[in-house]
Amino acid sequence: MHSHSSEQTKLTLHIHFVWRIVFAFLMIVGMYVLWTSPAERESWQKIIVTVVCSLAAILSIYGATQINKGNHSGRMIALLLDYLGFATALVMALNTGEIFIGIDALGQTFPQGIPYLGIVIVGYFLGSLDEYLPTKKATSENSLKTVGRWIMLLGGILFLWQIEAVNGAVYFFSKLIQPLGIASVIAIIIFGISLWSMSRPHIAQALGVKTGHEQIINGWLFLSPNLLGFLIFFAGPLVLSLYFSFTDSDAFNTPNWVGFDNYARILNVRFALLETPTQLAREVVDIKIYDEVDRFVIGNTGILFAAADKFFWLALRNTLTFVLFAVPLSVIPALILSNVLNSKLPGMKFFRAVYFMPSIAAVVGIALVWQWLYNATIGYINYFITLGIEFWNNLFNLAIVDPKIQWVSDERTALLAVVIIAAWQTMGFNTVLFLAGLQNIPGELYEAATVDGAGAWDKFWGITLPMLAPTTFYVVSTTTIQAMQVFEQVFILMNPPEGPNNSTITLVLYLYRSGFQNFQQGYASAIAWVLFIVIFGLTLIQFQRQRRSSIYES
Amino acid sequence: MKNNLLMKLLSLLVLASFVLAACGGPAPQASATEEAMTEAPATEAVTEAPAADDVALRWRTRPDNQEEINVYSQISSELDAQLDGISLTYEPGGSEGANYQDQLRAEIAAGTAPDVFWIPGTDVADFATRGLILNAADLAGATDGYTAENFYAGPMFHLTYNPETGASGDGSGAVWGLPRDVSTFALYLNLDLIAEAGAADPRELAANGEWDWDAFLDVAQKTRALGPDIYGYGASAWWGPYGVWLNASGGGFFTEDRTACNLNSEESLAGLEFQRSLYQDFDVATPYGEDPEPPFRAGNVAMFQNGRWATPGIRTVDFNWDVVELPNGPQGTPGNWLFWGAYVINANTEHPEEAWALVQALTTAETQGQVSALGANIPSRVSQEALDAFLTFTPPDNNQAFLNGIAPDANPTAEGPLWAGSWPEFDKIMGPAIQGVLTGATSVEQFGATICDEANKAFNQ
Repeated sequence: MHSHSSEQTKLTLHIHFVWRIVFAFLMIVGMYVLWTSPAERESWQKIIVTVVCSLAAILSIYGATQINKGNHSGRMIALLLDYLGFATALVMALNTGEIFIGIDALGQTFPQGIPYLGIVIVGYFLGSLDEYLPTKKATSENSLKTVGRWIMLLGGILFLWQIEAVNGAVYFFSKLIQPLGIASVIAIIIFGISLWSMSRPHIAQALGVKTGHEQIINGWLFLSPNLLGFLIFFAGPLVLSLYFSFTDSDAFNTPNWVGFDNYARILNVRFALLETPTQLAREVVDIKIYDEVDRFVIGNTGILFAAADKFFWLALRNTLTFVLFAVPLSVIPALILSNVLNSKLPGMKFFRAVYFMPSIAAVVGIALVWQWLYNATIGYINYFITLGIEFWNNLFNLAIVDPKIQWVSDERTALLAVVIIAAWQTMGFNTVLFLAGLQNIPGELYEAATVDGAGAWDKFWGITLPMLAPTTFYVVSTTTIQAMQVFEQVFILMNPPEGPNNSTITLVLYLYRSGFQNFQQGYASAIAWVLFIVIFGLTLIQFQRQRRSSIYES
Repeated sequence: MKNNLLMKLLSLLVLASFVLAACGGPAPQASATEEAMTEAPATEAVTEAPAADDVALRWRTRPDNQEEINVYSQISSELDAQLDGISLTYEPGGSEGANYQDQLRAEIAAGTAPDVFWIPGTDVADFATRGLILNAADLAGATDGYTAENFYAGPMFHLTYNPETGASGDGSGAVWGLPRDVSTFALYLNLDLIAEAGAADPRELAANGEWDWDAFLDVAQKTRALGPDIYGYGASAWWGPYGVWLNASGGGFFTEDRTACNLNSEESLAGLEFQRSLYQDFDVATPYGEDPEPPFRAGNVAMFQNGRWATPGIRTVDFNWDVVELPNGPQGTPGNWLFWGAYVINANTEHPEEAWALVQALTTAETQGQVSALGANIPSRVSQEALDAFLTFTPPDNNQAFLNGIAPDANPTAEGPLWAGSWPEFDKIMGPAIQGVLTGATSVEQFGATICDEANKAFNQ
């Protein structure tokens, strides 16, 4: 325990003040180099780096003034900037040392080391054998523990040797010895010292930090790994895709800014009156721009719906149709099933597991199995339909015609085939959610209802359904969002994925086709944002309906 | 104490699994390559240990099965030894969940694509115009003995096409790659079904010059009459199978200069009408859009239209089978395709000269002979040595049917890129529209009246 003189504290704060100014200066220098360097960088990258550096510089200067005034906000800013700087420098150092490629290599060598981990466990066993010795003697106990520890150490060293950790470490440091790597290490040290210094109690005291401030800092610190991950891997790409949606990016060449052109192409639609139901589209709309999406026949006339991008509107129609059928078919049977599985009958735990299994199975495998089942010529579904029809025809001397349904090759049934798979796969997961909801309903409510003479249906309608409202809301919302993003089942099941006459083209499938197969990443980004708006709108409506009807709200 | 015991039991379990892992785990690093030669999974790369000064090159193909992966791995090892100063890593591309082309494009965008890779013929224009593949004309010009005439003319026309001048062939100023192999369609025959139906043997009809659309329909109808689950004909739902009927009647997808849609020409519509009748009027074909291979393998389809790549899989069926060339259409030819794909060089490779050397080595008669001996590919090099190797792979007995399909007399249409437009866009419009006709949702007249209004937009992009 040693005290710090006020002079020492003042000096430290003064150093921090200077460091914040230097930090801001470095940020400005970085921006200058970025824009004047001959190295080719995409403009969006320059803009993002400039915005980040500007914010950091402004914050740093503001922090310096606050430190100078002895204000605790200066400390918070300093900790924030140094923490982010430390994390950035650490990632840069790891990347320069090719540690992320090294992890791939470790994946290849790791199995060679697995048996040697066994030696570590043998050592652990040996060290803990003393517990089972009939008569415990201090010497034997100690020697067993010592031997055990040495064996564990030996196993650990052999393991590291086998996975070529030494080679990896040598490679890492050899790569790190280059200007960027050395600069990263220096940055780590500087940011680390600054963090350590600023977090010392006497500095905090000098800046008037209270317990509440410390709690806020600790809270953010615990949150930071998740928050940084969210910003880097989710929010960052999200913003980037918004930028791309205003460009003609093809993923390979420098994108050009096209403003709202992509959105305009998506939303460019025309409605035209038809003189006859079969009148050609080219006679009523400019066919060089528009394609027919659909026509609505009314008597001897009709309305033509044409769009500059008909595939988007077909995809939207199919997606909404899919949602309309798949969501109720995934939710209502799950609700019924959960009530059955909530009973105390023997074997219910087994059935709960059985119904949950499709949810954890790989979509690709499921779709391939269903593809086989749906086969119109040798599939089991049609086989059993044929058997059933033959049975009824023979039994009652009927003449029912075997429909020989072409599940995936007929445009009338193709989307239905996908709906069935999706509902089958999602139902189990929804059942588990409903089960959890059901088990949270107080039993007293049912007892009271029984006393009042309520029947099973009355209890279900009057207690179960209202009490399950929050669960139902969650299930419906998540299932709707999931259904709006339907892709895998269609992509694997259908050949081609768009299905007969585009009957199974969906928004995410079209987005994927545009972005990754037709080299239109800018346009695909615009589709993604339109899809986001549609999903957001639907979810918002569900939220509002939930607020109005929720028993908990009222 | 209870928890402690549980911990120890768990540790015992882990220990046992370690022992098992040690007994049955992967082979040591030194033998990994050897193992990959025989058992390599589709995603595992086969790497030779590079010498100190070797240039390291990665290359990739899209194999159809494990046997092909093994052959390409073997070739990579041999070429690694042959090519001085070059060390090779072979990467089989694609898997059930990762489409070959999509994965490749993503890797090109990320800058991690291999130095040399295979792409289908239809993709060459897209890749070339976007600057993703190297124009190797200068390298080819400086190579002794290189000439486009060593390969089939159809693929080389497209692979040496210069979009700036419109010229093709040696001296055009463009060499986008060299063809890996060629292929074409044939009809895989269930000889047992044909004999049971009392229909004429298509192979004999072809030998006598009587194998035309009428004869084809006759065999299809007779076999279809064997039962409600027996079909006379089956074909998959993509541009290849339906395109041949359009070609055979004198039509095709594009105009002759490949700058506009030709799907609404009288000849194209006639071909489509005949194919529609197979599905809708005569009801001899497996439903369009359903995979016809399972029912063929189950012995329920008499004539299954597919390429040479299907042969290794068909060899496992337990009925008598063979192949025959496609029937002649109204123009006197079968209208078959000359499918091809090419080895191309990544535009961002750091070693273009070595990559060109690799592309040449991958397309020699010797290398092509090795691949052809597997039975799935026809050599792209006009070489008797390579063709002889191909003919040794039996069954089918009538391997010559494939060679007849690509012979000049058969006038096959070379699969080709669309320099004046976007092939993916064109295919996106054409495929569903054709499917609409063949499933009976749209008439041929309706199709003809509107298809080129839409499809011509693919040429403006």
